[in-house]
Amino acid sequence: MNNIEYDVIVVGAGCAGPAAAKKAAELGLKVLLLEKSQVPGEKNVSGTCLNGAAILDPDLHYIVECPVERTIREMRTYHINEDRTTVFHEIPSEGILLLSVRRDHLDTWHTEEAKKAGAEVKLSTTVVDIIEEDDYIKGVITDSGEKYFGKVIIDAAGVNSIVGRKARLIPKRKGTNMILYVTVAVKLGEEVISERFGDCIEYYLSPGIQYKTWPWIFPKKDTVTVGTGGYMDENLITDEFPNVNKYMENFLNLPVVKKKLEGGEIVSWGLHLEYDEAIEKRVRNGLILTGEAGGFVIPFLGEGMPEAFFTGIYAAISAAEAIAAGDCSETKLSEKYEELIGDNFFMQAFRHIAAVNKESILSKTDEEITQMMQQVIMGGGFISNAIHTKWLKGVEEENMELLQEAYDFLELIQPYATVDPDFENLYKERGRK
Amino acid sequence: MKVDMKVDYYPGETGEFIKVDESKCVGCGDCAKFCTRDVWEQDGAIYRPVNLKQCVECGACWNVCDYDAVLFSEPKGGTGVRFSYG
Repeated sequence: MNNIEYDVIVVGAGCAGPAAAKKAAELGLKVLLLEKSQVPGEKNVSGTCLNGAAILDPDLHYIVECPVERTIREMRTYHINEDRTTVFHEIPSEGILLLSVRRDHLDTWHTEEAKKAGAEVKLSTTVVDIIEEDDYIKGVITDSGEKYFGKVIIDAAGVNSIVGRKARLIPKRKGTNMILYVTVAVKLGEEVISERFGDCIEYYLSPGIQYKTWPWIFPKKDTVTVGTGGYMDENLITDEFPNVNKYMENFLNLPVVKKKLEGGEIVSWGLHLEYDEAIEKRVRNGLILTGEAGGFVIPFLGEGMPEAFFTGIYAAISAAEAIAAGDCSETKLSEKYEELIGDNFFMQAFRHIAAVNKESILSKTDEEITQMMQQVIMGGGFISNAIHTKWLKGVEEENMELLQEAYDFLELIQPYATVDPDFENLYKERGRK
Repeated sequence: MKVDMKVDYYPGETGEFIKVDESKCVGCGDCAKFCTRDVWEQDGAIYRPVNLKQCVECGACWNVCDYDAVLFSEPKGGTGVRFSYG
């Protein structure tokens, strides 16, 4: 058995892993990136729309070069109950909102980028354990018994990461902290999708098609991805809903959805768990948790990929600083990591929106939520609800502090109120470098 | 439209990456309840992951087990579920 030593070992080539490996290699470190699947992205299920607002961050500019299925410029929200259907159609501006991607294509491209930067990549390699000595995480052990040692281990191996579990940072999670969701890819052909969906993503809310989450349809090139699911508490699975496929079936058979998917065929089915709270402790001596492994995901808003990119990059920067200082302790690694995360406006704003919305959605029935969202004055969006919930509560309770909080948040999200052409311009530069 | 669970797998043996700890399983059946792929089946007083070949590695069974009776590792490198269209 070889005892090979690296500066940084990154486990998992999803969204966070290649970002971390690329950055660490660019910073001059000796990097090993390990991935359990044969092709990066082939063990991943996600919403697969990249948020342009996040990619505008200079750290993520390079992501614009990734394989793109479709550019998304519009958003439609359907609120459907027995009495009525409301459709809120948002065309925020001339700018691109999101890039729709396929994870197998995106993660493979990203892994190649990490390789180009100088990272060593090993595919079909499963990490089964960590090497721990004197309270330091020193390395990992693979399924073939190989031991790899690193000064810093970056865990990017997803929601159930074995690295984070063995390091006792990732606990079991269920109830209102975990979402189980199911996806199907429906093949319709490029022309039909352009005709029926165009460059518009759709969100739906209707009793019986989700359990306190937001079903969605995202168009790709020749398929659309449909997703729904719910919080993993005792009411997710019942006699009426023996598994999450039942929510999906009801969703696919909503008259409006049925019509849009007519003639289509399911070409792929997927299942995924998403943790809905940031893990409190994401760092130990010699170890940093990133992306989903670190709980950096907001399934409620369909956000996770940019957070994974960001935290992967931040982990690499923190590791480089720690290695240069000869101190890879938890304190040293956390200091920089927490600072970089705290300074990230995108991550902080989205977490706030999710927290307020989650609170309101968990306290109401599906009927009430549908009705509530139909009545949101400024539109049907999550951002509006985040503001309105606080505002209305403030008015009701004559609580100036809540009113001020709502107002402050409205000010805070102003950069997102309209989409200026910045991202459009960045996207136009694709392939010109 | 019916929900067709169209799933691909890499060829090759995954190994027994999910097991039951017989001494801890109380037979509550939560693993089976939250499994979308019918991996778990009752066997007398306990449950066993008898249909592991159908597993898509989501980890729901491990997360919901209150008795730490689900032992959840990883398939061997390059084996197990293979998603397309992510």
